[in-house]
Parts: sequence; C-alpha cells; structure tokens
Amino acid sequence: MERLLNPVLLLVLLLVAILSLGIGTLDVEVSSALANWVSSLVTGETLAREALIVGEIRLPRTLLALLVGAAMGISGAALQGLLRNPLVDPGLIGASQGAALGAALVFYFNFFPFLGTLATPFAGLIGAALTLFILMGLSGSMARPAIIIMAGLAISTLSSALLAVVLNFAPNPYAMQELVFWLLGSVANRGLDHLAVLVPAFVIGSTMLLLQRKLLLGLSLGEQVADSMGLEVTKRGRYIILGTALLVGSAVAVAGNIGFVGLVVPHLIRPLVRYRPDRLLLPSALAGAVVVLLADILVRQLPPERELKLGVLTALVGAPFFVWLVWKERQRWL
Amino acid sequence: MALMSVDSLAVHERLFAASLEIHEGEVLGLIGPNGAGKSTLLNAIAGLIPRTGRISLGGQDLQQLDSLQRARQIALQPQFIESVWALSVHDIVSMGRLPWGDSDQSIIREVMRQANITAFANRHVNELSGGERARVWLARVLANQALVLLVDEPVANLDIHYQQEVMQILHDYARAGHAVVIAIHDLSLAARYCDRLCLMDAGGIVITDTINAVLNSEVLSPVFNVDVYVDLDNRPPVVLAQ
Repeated sequence: MERLLNPVLLLVLLLVAILSLGIGTLDVEVSSALANWVSSLVTGETLAREALIVGEIRLPRTLLALLVGAAMGISGAALQGLLRNPLVDPGLIGASQGAALGAALVFYFNFFPFLGTLATPFAGLIGAALTLFILMGLSGSMARPAIIIMAGLAISTLSSALLAVVLNFAPNPYAMQELVFWLLGSVANRGLDHLAVLVPAFVIGSTMLLLQRKLLLGLSLGEQVADSMGLEVTKRGRYIILGTALLVGSAVAVAGNIGFVGLVVPHLIRPLVRYRPDRLLLPSALAGAVVVLLADILVRQLPPERELKLGVLTALVGAPFFVWLVWKERQRWL
Repeated sequence: MALMSVDSLAVHERLFAASLEIHEGEVLGLIGPNGAGKSTLLNAIAGLIPRTGRISLGGQDLQQLDSLQRARQIALQPQFIESVWALSVHDIVSMGRLPWGDSDQSIIREVMRQANITAFANRHVNELSGGERARVWLARVLANQALVLLVDEPVANLDIHYQQEVMQILHDYARAGHAVVIAIHDLSLAARYCDRLCLMDAGGIVITDTINAVLNSEVLSPVFNVDVYVDLDNRPPVVLAQ
C-alpha cells in the first residue's frame, strides 16, 4: 500500500495536469496542440492559435500551479518534522509573510535592480529565511511546540505590520491595488520567465530538504536523541530552514500567498506513510501539486468577470481545516 | 585497560573536573542528589554539550571522531523521551540504526526479543503503557550496538516489575562486551545491578568505587543530608533514607 503511494500520486498528478491543459474557454486537442508548440520551438514556424493557447498560456499556468503546490506541500512536511508540530504551516509561522514583505519592498523600491526579474523572488527568499531564523532564535533550540506557534504568531504579526506600512505608503492607488491582488495569490497571467525562477529554486530547495530525511526521522524522538545519534540537529536543521525559505520564498514571490496547502497536505498524507516524517516529503510534494492544480482548475471554471483568486480559495478550504485540527489537538492535550 | 577514560571533564558552571574510568562488561551507576550533575556528565560524554577535558575510547580521543562515528560508539538514552508522531514500535527500534545508515533486521529482531516487545512490533508507540514504552525506547538505543551505553534514569517512572526487567536488560548488555553507565536515584536497585558506583555532588565526583565502599552511611549521609539505612547483605540489598 505504502509503496504504491508515490506512483499513484504521480499518475493522478499527470491526469490532473492533462485536464488543466485541456480546460479553458476554447476547446483544444491538447496532444496535437502541444506537439505543434514543441515543434514550432525547434523549427521556428508560426504557431497555430491552439498551440499558442496551450503552450504559452495554459502550460506555464499548469506548471506554475504544480510547482507552487509541490513547494508548499514539501515545505509544510519538512517544517512540521523539524519543529515536531503538526500545526505548522509556512504561512502560520511567518515564512510566507516574510517572503511577501520582501517581495513587496522590491515592488515599490526596486531593490536589487541588477537582478532583473529575479529581484522579487530573491527578496522573497531573504524575507522567508529571515523570518525563519528569527523564529528559531526566538523560540530557542529546545523549543516546545506551543512556544514555536507563539513565536511564529509574533513574527507573522510583525511581518504583517511591516507589510501594512508598505501598503500605507504605496506611491499610488494602482500600485497598492496591484500589490494587494498579487498578495491574494494566483498563478494566472504568468509566463515562462516566472518558471525560470521557480524551477531552479524548487530543484535546489527540495533537494536540500530530501537530503535531511534522516534528521527528520531522528527528530521524532526529540533533539537530544537526534543529536546523540550524530545527526547534528543545529547544523542540519539550518539546511531545512534554508531549503524551506528557498521554496516558500520563490513560490510566494511568483504566485503570492497560496496558504494552508503546506498545513493540510502533509496531514492528509501522514497516515498513509505510517507517520514517518522522512517518508512524508515526496508524497506531500506530489499531493500538494495535485491540490493546487485542482484548485486552479476550479478557479478557472468560475465566471471571469469576478475572478476568485487561487490563494483565496485555498484559504477558504484550508482555514476551516485548521480550525478542525486545533479542535482535534485540543482533545489530545486535555 | 579501561574501555573509556574520562579525564578532567568540565562543563561551564555545571560540571567540574570529573575523571573516571569505565571498563568493558561493567555497569557503572551514577548516583547523587538532584542537581548533582549526573545528566550533565552523561550529556557531556555523549558530545551533546560543549565541554573541556579529554575523553578517550579504546585509546582514541573522542574529539578526533566526527559526530556519526562518535554516535556509533556511544549511545545515549535521555531521561525524558517521547515520540511526536504515532510511529510503529518497529520503526522506533529501527531508528537505533540511524548512526550506521542501515536497517539491519537481524539486530532489530534480536533487540526486540531482548526487550520483550516483539509481540507489539506493529503497534503505534503512543498506544502502549508506560512500561511497554520504556522497553521500546530501550530497544531503540540497544539497536545501535554502541560500545558504551549511557542511560539517564531508565526506571524513574516504572513499577517494580518493569524496573527489574529494564535493569536486567542493561546488565546483560554490559556483560555482552559493552559498558553501561546508568544515572539512577534508586540506591537499592543500584546496589543490586551495578558493579561500581560513582557518587556525584554539586557538579563534582565525590567517590568512584565498589558498591560496599560507596553505599554506606558515612559516605552517603553527608551528600544526601539524610541518615541512610544500608543493608547490603540482604537479598535483595536495601538502601533507604531513615
């Protein structure tokens, strides 16, 4: 059963991705349009309309949703393992807000101009990493789960306050509107250049997390046990923080805030991997990709004049789930 | 020659110039009042906290080993241990092999048999009773097959049946060519299962010697600030505050 999990998830992801490429206002034969788009890349011939729609609009959107979902899923799984707390989400401990703040600053003040389009994701990454390091510092190395949640709350409040300052001093109402819409989270109207940012960040970030699976397993019995088994919690834990920051920072910088995926997905997967934190990463990435892709397909089915942002949808579904989780945890603590 | 020798080990404001030797096959008991430095000594030997002084294992300085090499030679069982996730007993015991990077099933099966937990190998650890869980944690640390096993208060929360069982498992492990250091408050159990005792007080070692030399009221009373009744000839031996 457990062995089949990853292949099954991969198959589902493939099917959902094909569905995502096929769905839209125009009915398109996906395989021939894709083939046409790929061959035009090689030969340079002009694109048919179908090939243009699938290759230049739906494909980037699909890949972006897939990667953002995978990034959030794997980050949530790794953070929950590192902090030994099932209630941890990149958004709940301030990483997403930190990334949003960093990216917003670039929006307005044009920091790192030499980085070009990479400036926003770079700032998002720094923001996410900073908040995670402050979190670790504030909550201490042997932190109890409740302290980590409180420290996370404090940091996300701080980031939100600073973000409010940035919004308050927006140079003009349009800039503010643009920023707010971006913060709500969406994968619409992005191009292949956004993928050029997200793909390397995803590859490096998720590799960093996957290399620390032993640590995540060892940490199940606490830091002292993990350290006594030679797993160097402090040193290797930093790789998890950096990897998560890379994933969350780049995902938020490209797509805005797609909340609660990192909380919900590892939760649903955990019983299927017999609660092993080391085996949770890969299926969480795959399932995260499926969830965000499905959510984006749903968003696209709604009437276009009043567009529901992807991040709003995931929050609408995820927040009640979080309430239910707290309820369940409360019963455990009582 | 000693299996492990600890020379002038010190931890800032908590442990002062502690020296002792641990021999192959022996169970060394660490006794002393709360706050005497027993856990600090164990954590320092296990390499978990910054320390000064020299520890050598089989003639080799521990500082020369990297953390994984050290973890293969010295295993630690902390006093408080808990699994955050509902892992299976088998998965917990397999974690003992993490320093080696393998999951040697013959070792895992053998330590589960020693700890008498084979019957519930597939159950979730959080469904077990305190006594059963204590044996699971013990099997986890035994699976490492470390030369030196450091155990902090393994019997503190156990009933008398499980206390005996856990002490017997540790005793057998030591006799099988390893060494075991146990921090323990129950002096009667220490008298029964340890080969030598190391009495600690206020971050220093008062005396390391045989059971008879350490467990007598002249040595114990001033350290524990209480009159102590000792009867080592009784079977089992009795050491109690009067």
